[in-house]
Amino acid sequence: MTTLFRFRSLFGLVVVFAAAVVFSPSKNGDLLFLNSQNLFNVVRSISEIGILAVGMTLVILIGGIDLSVGSVLGLASVGSAILLVENDLGVVATVVVVLAIGLGFGLLQGFAVARFGIQAFIVTLAGMQIARGLARIWSGGQGISITYGDGPGQAPVAFSLLGERTFGGIVPIPALIFALVAMLAVVLLRVSAFSRHVYAVGGNEKAARLSGVPVTRVKIAVFGICGLLAALAGIVHAGQLNFGGPNDGAMYELDAIAAVVIGGTSLMGGRGSVVGTVAGALLVGVLRNILALNNIDSNIQLLIIGLVIVLAAGVAQLRPASAGVSERKIAA
Amino acid sequence: MDETRTVPVEMIGISKSYGGVHALRDVDLTVRAGEVHALLGENGAGKSTLMKVLSGEVGGYRGEIRIDGGSVHLGSPAEAQRAGIAMIHQELDLVPALSIAENVFLGGESRTRLGVVDSRRMVRETRDLLARTGVTIDPRRLVEQLRTGEQQLVTIAKALALDARILIMDEPTSALSEHEVGQLFAVIAELRRAGTGIVYISHRMQEIGQVADRATVLRNGAVVAEFAARSMTAAQASEAMVGRPLEQLYRPDAAGEVGAELLEVHDLSVTPRRPRPGRRDPAGISLRVRRGEIVGLAGLLGSGRTELLETLFGVGSPGRRGGTVHLAGDPVDSRGPRRSIRRGIAYVPEDRRVAGLALDHSVLANTVLAVVDRIARLGVVSRARERAVTAGSVERLGVKLASVDSPVGSLSGGNQQKVLLGRALLTEPRLLLLDEPTRGVDIGAKAEIYRLLRDTAAGGVGVLLASSEPAELIGVCDRVVVLSDGRSVGELDSASTTEAELLAASMGGVA
Repeated sequence: MTTLFRFRSLFGLVVVFAAAVVFSPSKNGDLLFLNSQNLFNVVRSISEIGILAVGMTLVILIGGIDLSVGSVLGLASVGSAILLVENDLGVVATVVVVLAIGLGFGLLQGFAVARFGIQAFIVTLAGMQIARGLARIWSGGQGISITYGDGPGQAPVAFSLLGERTFGGIVPIPALIFALVAMLAVVLLRVSAFSRHVYAVGGNEKAARLSGVPVTRVKIAVFGICGLLAALAGIVHAGQLNFGGPNDGAMYELDAIAAVVIGGTSLMGGRGSVVGTVAGALLVGVLRNILALNNIDSNIQLLIIGLVIVLAAGVAQLRPASAGVSERKIAA
Repeated sequence: MDETRTVPVEMIGISKSYGGVHALRDVDLTVRAGEVHALLGENGAGKSTLMKVLSGEVGGYRGEIRIDGGSVHLGSPAEAQRAGIAMIHQELDLVPALSIAENVFLGGESRTRLGVVDSRRMVRETRDLLARTGVTIDPRRLVEQLRTGEQQLVTIAKALALDARILIMDEPTSALSEHEVGQLFAVIAELRRAGTGIVYISHRMQEIGQVADRATVLRNGAVVAEFAARSMTAAQASEAMVGRPLEQLYRPDAAGEVGAELLEVHDLSVTPRRPRPGRRDPAGISLRVRRGEIVGLAGLLGSGRTELLETLFGVGSPGRRGGTVHLAGDPVDSRGPRRSIRRGIAYVPEDRRVAGLALDHSVLANTVLAVVDRIARLGVVSRARERAVTAGSVERLGVKLASVDSPVGSLSGGNQQKVLLGRALLTEPRLLLLDEPTRGVDIGAKAEIYRLLRDTAAGGVGVLLASSEPAELIGVCDRVVVLSDGRSVGELDSASTTEAELLAASMGGVA
């Protein structure tokens, strides 16, 4: 029973996936949904949100929230474009600088949360405005197109790889990056001492502090990781679109939070997993895809996705009855 | 005589099971008008479940409940309240950000003719209710500004407002000072005269003799004994609760080998940067703990026991510190838990639910929390290692559980406390600071915890134990330091001190 509950986020994905197979339109006897090209497009379509959601999972696990990730994504996409095109930086240098910006931004937010005790919602609400403002100032309010070549004002061709596919032209690079980030995060949360501290801070911060967990450092680190991943998503974004848009990424933070919640992570902190988040992101991707394949009106899509979020949150409330029932304990 | 009293509540053959576990088996209980009926049993014996059935919080039971002779079904707390049954919960169910009056009338606010909440009337009536419980607090004060004991009295006032005929009190004195307990007993006496039937749950045996008429003992969900409360002895009750003759609760051979000086506190004081009301920071405390010694900290509520332990561990009020603290000869700066743990100080806080455990998390996660980075290599924790460490701790402390993966919140209070103690011991402390280590713990687990503390001390650890139970301080500790108003005002040798003497010393008569 407990095991079943542990996998309820995957369960939801399986249900939606099965529904997608059933309702898939077909062409020449082949189901369009199951076409490998289509499936990888699904993963590609959620890769940016997915990367954001992995960082968001950590923040939510410590009982926080990060509303700034969409704006940081926009800032990072602008930064990537400008550094490549206007400052003629190489790909590696650009990536390093942009990731450092995201990391620094996240660390600062974490510092404000952990040291001054300001609520994460407020700090990152401010951070959302600040990052958006920085993106617009840096770009002068205009989007920057990325053209490739060796001349000045052109980006190295290597950066355009982000829009390509690998493994025989099947696997989109953004999907691959998302998969790597997710796997890294899953392993990190499984085996590291750091992850035990993350869960403990979310489960009972006071108890964690009294047990010698460096609560302040854990919080700052988690916000730093989240900022770093937001910047990574911004780089992927710029590479996919060949464009740095100062207004891009708006509302992405909410999509990321949705993926985390559908994945069964508790907004109260202390409970959840990256596996669930990946499943949550995939669930939304599959749902969007099958609705689009059936030419469902995009406004109705919004409606359906909203309902699924509520449904998933409702399912997450159904917990095994054993937890928290004080009288039902093991007899002496 | 008793037979002529009316019997407002009869519970007949009540059974309740959760999944395959029988929480209650065929329990009969009657509560007469004007009677205090004590309900005894270890944690998990079924007391709370039985009372939740009676207060309508738990449905799906088998058996019959009769109110004034008529069979009823109590499906919700609201139905129970209409039937005249009210319950005061062990957990304080108050809204911290509302005033006392607003809490007392929560959901039943009186209104003026215009439909506006009639706060003047609510304040007036609350003042009267509070006066009945013997406190004079302004009903307009916010609940969050009150001390725990005062909050407890507010919950009692709230129950009085319901004018119930049957009042269930679940551990009403656990957070009360000696003086406040006296006030509560006066309220109970008044209610009895008015014909209210009271069900009284408590772990404190002396109280039951003082306040109750009858006592029913539950064990494993069934009634095992019934006593006339006034003639019942503590030994009789304990044996019924545990189901076997209790090995003596406190060890008579308490004094073990005492070694070298470990903790030396000299004239410790803290001047807080921002003083908080109700907090008593150290204002001149001197004491010593040697290796292998258990030293008790006595004192009334508000004497500064908890604040001293917090200051020693490095989580006290921020501010200027005076005096000196040495651990094994080295000065201790007490700059935070992480540093303290590394120096060999472990702390088990008073309220395990708030400051001790992540109740949703597994026993394993809670047990290894303080040592998880020690058992990690290059930041990587081995699952097998975590399991081995947890298994060792669980075995050493005799924690009773189905699996180390079950949430720690599903364990009984005693077992939760053992998990907490196990976590502290895993850090291999030289000095163990304990705050009320047996609060809300049943008598069987209590005895085991005492034995464990003795064994720990025998291993060369110094223990500083703060408690509000004189019997515990005298029975377990070698010496007892008495605090008053943040100062150490005396020291007693527990071998030659009676509980009464200790109480007198706490209240100001310095030994």
